[in-house]
Amino acid sequence: MDNLLNASIRKHLLGASLLAASALALAPAAQAQPAPGGGTLRSMINADLRSTDPGVNRDLNSDAITMHMLEGLVAYRENLTVGPMLAQKVDLSADGTTYTFTLRDGLTFHNGKPLTSDDVLFAWKRYLDPATQWRCLSEFDGKGSAKVVDMQAPDPKTFVIRIEKPSALFLGQMARIDCGGSAIYHRDSIGADGKWATPIGTGPYMWSEWRRGQSVDLVRFPGYKSLDGKPDGLTGGKAAIAEKVRFIIIPESASAKAALYSGAIDVRPDFAARDLDEVKGRADIRTGTHPTMETNGILFQVNEPIVKDVRIRRAISMAINREELVDTVTFGLTRPANSMVPLASPYSGPVQKAEWKRDIPGAKKLLAEAGYRGEPIKMIVTKRFMSLFDGAVFVQSMAKEAGINIELEVLEWAAQLDLYGKGTYQSMFFSFSARLDAALSYEMIAGPKATQTRKVWNDPAAEALISQAMVISDVAKRQALFDQLHAKFMEELPMIPLWNSVDIAAWRSNVTGYTTWAASMPRLWNVTIK
Amino acid sequence: MTGYVLRRLLMTIPTLLLVSLAVFVLVRLIPGDPVSLMFGDGGTPEQIARGRAALGLDQPVFVQFWRWLTRIAVGDFGNTITDGQAVLPLILERFQVSASVVLVSVAMAAVVGVTIGIIAAWKQDSKLDVGIVGLTTVILSIPTFWLGLLLLLLFGLKLGWLPVIGYVPISEEPWKAMLFLLLPVATLTLHESGVVTRMARASDIEVLRLEYITHARAKGLSEARVLARHVLPNAFAPTWTLIGLILGNLLGGIAVLETVFTLPGLGRLLADGVFARDYPVVQGCLLFTALLYVIVNLVVDLFYPLFDPRVSAE
Repeated sequence: MDNLLNASIRKHLLGASLLAASALALAPAAQAQPAPGGGTLRSMINADLRSTDPGVNRDLNSDAITMHMLEGLVAYRENLTVGPMLAQKVDLSADGTTYTFTLRDGLTFHNGKPLTSDDVLFAWKRYLDPATQWRCLSEFDGKGSAKVVDMQAPDPKTFVIRIEKPSALFLGQMARIDCGGSAIYHRDSIGADGKWATPIGTGPYMWSEWRRGQSVDLVRFPGYKSLDGKPDGLTGGKAAIAEKVRFIIIPESASAKAALYSGAIDVRPDFAARDLDEVKGRADIRTGTHPTMETNGILFQVNEPIVKDVRIRRAISMAINREELVDTVTFGLTRPANSMVPLASPYSGPVQKAEWKRDIPGAKKLLAEAGYRGEPIKMIVTKRFMSLFDGAVFVQSMAKEAGINIELEVLEWAAQLDLYGKGTYQSMFFSFSARLDAALSYEMIAGPKATQTRKVWNDPAAEALISQAMVISDVAKRQALFDQLHAKFMEELPMIPLWNSVDIAAWRSNVTGYTTWAASMPRLWNVTIK
Repeated sequence: MTGYVLRRLLMTIPTLLLVSLAVFVLVRLIPGDPVSLMFGDGGTPEQIARGRAALGLDQPVFVQFWRWLTRIAVGDFGNTITDGQAVLPLILERFQVSASVVLVSVAMAAVVGVTIGIIAAWKQDSKLDVGIVGLTTVILSIPTFWLGLLLLLLFGLKLGWLPVIGYVPISEEPWKAMLFLLLPVATLTLHESGVVTRMARASDIEVLRLEYITHARAKGLSEARVLARHVLPNAFAPTWTLIGLILGNLLGGIAVLETVFTLPGLGRLLADGVFARDYPVVQGCLLFTALLYVIVNLVVDLFYPLFDPRVSAE
């Protein structure tokens, strides 16, 4: 692979960017789509679409829908590395600060207009305008991993973006699903009033109809130009086989199950683990599971009474029988994840996978040393995600055996999120959405508490290590950094990671081609319905 | 009468003002805000502050309240935070869905409940009466969402007679719309007819014990005539009040039922608004509901003298 890269570039490619840029250089020419099928493929979402503005006013449902219509210069592959999408190749300058994207030939928007670098520039200028309220602005304006200092469109096929200093995560941040994949859209997507109007992208499906509170319809884009090769995450070969895809809003899980069984929907993403056994014997239903990078565990506010003592936090950790807990709450679908680095990450090595054994006498000893006398420790949890609630109940019960008095306080999700953001809680059972690089997994909990109240790990030394991991290219060196971080994390234990979520989906037997994956997002292209 | 109606309508203004103040303050007392939800587990303090400023949430609460109130006064309920839609047209659109289910259900429940109630009262303490009382008690004890799920599983999944999910406006495809509405209407009718039956039965029993009923029977009137001419009209007033209360309550939203049957009604709009902390939606829905309640009660009061001439609308 590397021999196809320009030698001068190869020397200077950085970390994740190295892998991504290598792949981009190898990006194959576009190919014609496979013969389309017909019919309407009906999937479900559990709440209405918020907006189709990529990475703005979004949630998981909105991301899932927009990703069928909009594409970025790069996108995540199945293995969560970054691959080419609208860019045919990307060149990185010798100093690692200038990315030159060469666009693929013959790409057109849903309105029939050709994609040019001017469109890319337009979209990126809008992303970087604070008024847009792009979720990921902080990753590109210098507050996060990179600062964009210049953008140019020197010719219709070339887009150049310059960042202040090298960043190993730059392409990965561009591809982030919650950032809308930094999708490129036509300027007519914006209405005359300057507000987002209709998504006009380059994806395999086009915007059709939104029946608010009921469903969202997308139709096949006949002019879609797919990449060659097999399907690969959000990139690779994509074919809009079904003529129409419909996302039906079903908020109630029992109704959703009934809808799947009755054939009112064809695909049900986010299928409940507890229902897997029930569908095993059904000939009309197929299921799929895949580990994801979402991290579930217990967060501590290390300035709060009682839990500010690391011995208490460690005692709670020692009281937990991880195997039993994870096996029960995930119905045996996964095993304990003992590090902030998810099991599916390439940086989850022996250090991260080291087992945490349950040790009740050890926990009691630590509690005695800390002078703990059964004072209540409040743990916030929500019932929005039942596995979290179940997990919290298990932890409460297991901790009791060591003499730890955990009081559960069940809150509605928005209320819990508010406390999380303000950092005003003692402990909390929480789920972090997938961060697709190990440095970002640590970044989500580490930082200065004075300015970022949601952070729980306020350790300048750890932050320095994370900053290095965001810049350093060498995989082995990065692994060493993550091993060091893990050791520091274990020492201070601001969070007890317990398990990574599992993407579970069920679909009817007349559907073929649907797959679950680590990013846990439904993909209805390349899916056939008979 | 006109003066009375006008006075009642004028009285709704301070009522709605108080409701709007209570709604505004209570909504803001709920922990969590829409911007935090938008950013989830990410979002820098600067981004969140910018988002709050863009929505005017950084202003003092009384400033926000005054702005909202002055806009409401001219019929502008604002725009949703989640997708920027105008709130009032959205409420009216969703209300049509809820109203179509509720009005049909309450009308059917009234007919069924009053009829069964009078039969039970007429046959008081018989096996039939005990059966009716037992059945209504069971129906009342079942939460509507569970009853809805049972019907959905039976008629939608097991028998496959009716669609499990979906909605089509009656104006678009009347026949299909009826199919979609059948299960939610049946659920609500079943549940509310239990309430109406019990009230009707109790009122009818009281009237059946009165002397003029004995007199009517002594005159040789048939039982059907006694019940239809002398019992029902005189016993209906309390049931009418109850039906008004049920109507006002249900028109404000049948969120759970709408969630089970995936109906895009007012209740689901309100519930979604609460979960998303979409303040304009929540405030708009609650104010609209309060207005509905006031109107329904006014209508009930105006019609009350028809069923009980001793009470004057004045």
